[in-house]
Amino acid sequence: MDVLITDDSGFMRDLLREILEEDHTIVGEAENGVEAVELYQEEEPDIVFMDIVMPIKDGIEATDEITDMDPNAKVVMCTSVEQAEQMKDSIKAGAEGYITKPFQKESVLEELNSIAAG
Amino acid sequence: MEIDIRELENYQQLAHDGAQSAADSLSQLTGIQTNVQITNVSLMSSTDLKQEFIGSEFAGVSVDLNGEISGEVALAFDEKGRRAITDKLVPADDPEKKKSSIEEVGNIMSSGFVDGWANYLNARIKSSPPTYIEGTGTDVLPQSATEGDGHLFVFRSRVEAGDGVDNAVDFRILLVPDSTSLERTMQPQTAGGISFEKLEVFTDMTKEGAEKAATNITSMTGIDTAVNVSRLTLVPIEDIPKAVGSKRYVGTVMEYEGKISGFLVILFDQPSGRAVVDSLVPMETDEQWGDVEQEALKELSNIMTSGFVDGWANVLNAEIKHKPPQFVADTGASVMNPVTARIGETDDHAFLLDSSIETNSDQVFTCQMLALPRRDELEQALDDLLVENSENTRVDPEELFEQQKNGD
Repeated sequence: MDVLITDDSGFMRDLLREILEEDHTIVGEAENGVEAVELYQEEEPDIVFMDIVMPIKDGIEATDEITDMDPNAKVVMCTSVEQAEQMKDSIKAGAEGYITKPFQKESVLEELNSIAAG
Repeated sequence: MEIDIRELENYQQLAHDGAQSAADSLSQLTGIQTNVQITNVSLMSSTDLKQEFIGSEFAGVSVDLNGEISGEVALAFDEKGRRAITDKLVPADDPEKKKSSIEEVGNIMSSGFVDGWANYLNARIKSSPPTYIEGTGTDVLPQSATEGDGHLFVFRSRVEAGDGVDNAVDFRILLVPDSTSLERTMQPQTAGGISFEKLEVFTDMTKEGAEKAATNITSMTGIDTAVNVSRLTLVPIEDIPKAVGSKRYVGTVMEYEGKISGFLVILFDQPSGRAVVDSLVPMETDEQWGDVEQEALKELSNIMTSGFVDGWANVLNAEIKHKPPQFVADTGASVMNPVTARIGETDDHAFLLDSSIETNSDQVFTCQMLALPRRDELEQALDDLLVENSENTRVDPEELFEQQKNGD
């Protein structure tokens, strides 16, 4: 699958890349919500891993824009935020999954496979 | 029981004046110049108070109070302070006289501490004769402070010598009022008090948040950690940088906004910061705190912040958004100065939520989490807090996504 990673932390992007690139193709890495929307349009990935707390544009706003552009977009929030209200906002914005940091490799792959399976 | 927060501020000021008076007495008796570093009033569990004293030697006096304020006062010198006083007052090698000098100095100082309260309250507060106390850690704590698992208000002061390290005298005064006199003296005269139960619940929620943050450190770094002490303290804003001190730290400053806004400062002492970064970035880099190291520490802090703040948001049914963290490497006071300047724009006292995380293993590891919420917002949030909702700090995303899909 083609994956777009969005996280303002280079450390976290590296960690996700390491987990995912064995079986999937990383088509881009975005450092904020604006870059994520641009890269989504350019690369049309199968799935987006999206952080919430980011500068310039946060992950919930970016998810909203991406799913507005492409209602079939598949976005998994990958964040340290564990607040019910922000989870609900993510669902409203169109997110299909939610992984909380710190995560295990297995939980990332499980979430990805479950979303890929529809 | 309702607490008048403005009255608590007055008591904090009284404790400060009392500590100054005690410090002046000490200077007069021994010739050691002293100054009051900090005075604050904390709400904390007796377990955490005990934890704070474990591992150090103290000597001093304990005094029972009766009257408008009933309870106990303990005045304890650390080992270095005890030695500085006895060396000045009883240079001869006479253990009994040395003990007696501590007893007398403690007695004079605790009187100075208590009398201001009596004058403010326009009432009598009778002190019992002092009881000499000496021992390790919890042995010197007032009995009422170590019984049970409840929360207690602790007034504390730290006084240090002003004329060099050789004469350093660090002592603490703890006043633990009993619940009846606390209720009587802090009862709000008008509407607008804060429920003591809600303050307790919020303090517990904060400890749980710190525990979650400690768990996150462990799962990211493999370093076994646990929360040592967690407390809610009402403190003059100008005292906060002094309280954090001149030791050098690395860490992050994060601003959060929403139902409660404010700052969360996470400080690792230098070796601990290095240890967590080494475990996150297991490769050699050229710089000590280059981009790679800063990124790793910021991400860890980000995750710790969520662990800390999200519980508040879930219990309050509200959003608290935090901004990306800023890396800091400086003395504690220099890190805190810009933060307290921002919080101090609207208030002169603040609630400081202070948790320390330490390691369970042999490895030396300390991390401090200091949350400074905007006071009016915290008071409003406490007012809105539903005690019965306080268990709901954690949310399972999978469950919530399932519920939303099913339209529950």
